[in-house]
Amino acid sequence: MSSRPAPPTDAELELITQAQQGDRRAFGELVRLNREGVINVVYRMCGDASLAEDAAQESFIRAWQHLPNYRPRSPFRNWVYRIATNVALDVLRREKEAVDVDAVSLPSPERGPESMIEGKERGEQVQQAVLSLPPASRAVLVLREYEGLAYREIADALGIPIGTVMSRLNYARSRLREMLTPYLEVL
Amino acid sequence: MNEHVIPWLGAYHDGELHGGRLQQVEEHLAHCATCRAELGELRALAALLQSSPAPQALTRPDHFVAQVGLRLPRRPVQPAWKRCLKAGWRLAPVGLLGAWAFVRAVFLVSGVVLGALQVGLGGDVIAELLPASQPGLSLTRLWSLSGASLSDVGRVALQLLGNGGPLGWGVMLKVASLALIGLLYWSWLASWWAVRTRTSEHQRTGY
Repeated sequence: MSSRPAPPTDAELELITQAQQGDRRAFGELVRLNREGVINVVYRMCGDASLAEDAAQESFIRAWQHLPNYRPRSPFRNWVYRIATNVALDVLRREKEAVDVDAVSLPSPERGPESMIEGKERGEQVQQAVLSLPPASRAVLVLREYEGLAYREIADALGIPIGTVMSRLNYARSRLREMLTPYLEVL
Repeated sequence: MNEHVIPWLGAYHDGELHGGRLQQVEEHLAHCATCRAELGELRALAALLQSSPAPQALTRPDHFVAQVGLRLPRRPVQPAWKRCLKAGWRLAPVGLLGAWAFVRAVFLVSGVVLGALQVGLGGDVIAELLPASQPGLSLTRLWSLSGASLSDVGRVALQLLGNGGPLGWGVMLKVASLALIGLLYWSWLASWWAVRTRTSEHQRTGY
């Protein structure tokens, strides 16, 4: 299937080593490099932009605390994504009512195609469909579809076997295709 | 060829198939409209997912980094002596290997010298290099100097003890030093394994 994820680059490794020794400036650089991806992962997981920024900051703080345990066998990004996914799941547990799966309104097949092709609305419906997935499948889908991670990297980031990555991804896609059929027909 | 490859289409779409499986899927797709339609839907879904807008950044990147920096808890910096100790522990196997090589070399050289002496080669050179040999103060000699009498069995036992056992001090020293190095190496290996297992477990459960 997929090969092992590439280890960090020399420049990144240098920053990691300095940050592990307590250098906050080096860690700040790592935050700057991975900020966008982490915010995106958390946003796709919990669906709220302001919540995503808070959760992204929380992810980096946890990363700082656990940095001495990090072994650079895989990219730093994957390791931070793993933390970000766990933080997002914690946020979801805390703020369950804010993104209540039962309250998510899925696209209605009765709605006219005129309203469906409205870009903004379509985007929102897609986001809601993603949010309605079980968190475990959602995490795999987000890392694959939005962050472009390889299966091996996803397995590494989430601490699951590649077979589980594949089955969760197949499940997530199958569910999304069911929920988003009207939009897929329009495309 | 008739069997659909739908379970593998996701991995194919993601570029995760290689070798025989990739060939099998590609050959099947060339002939199967159902699987091609399925693949088309997967591609359409990927495009649809990408149409969902990315989050609008509420905070400027430098501001975000500064905010994280302000929230970082203090983490004690490891003192230099601790870092040296850690580095020394990591280099321990190299030191042990060096010690092992040194012991082997010493005994190899001494073996060669003794062998040469036994066959009468280079005796004069070695006699010049080595200090004049002292009469050995074996245990039996010491015992006899004390004036005590010994039975034959006791004398033989003391003789053996004085010479380092039936194999001699040389062999005993060699075995003991190599055994000590081996013991230290295995102890290091066991502690390394314990640390590694603990770290892996920590990473699995808590990053």
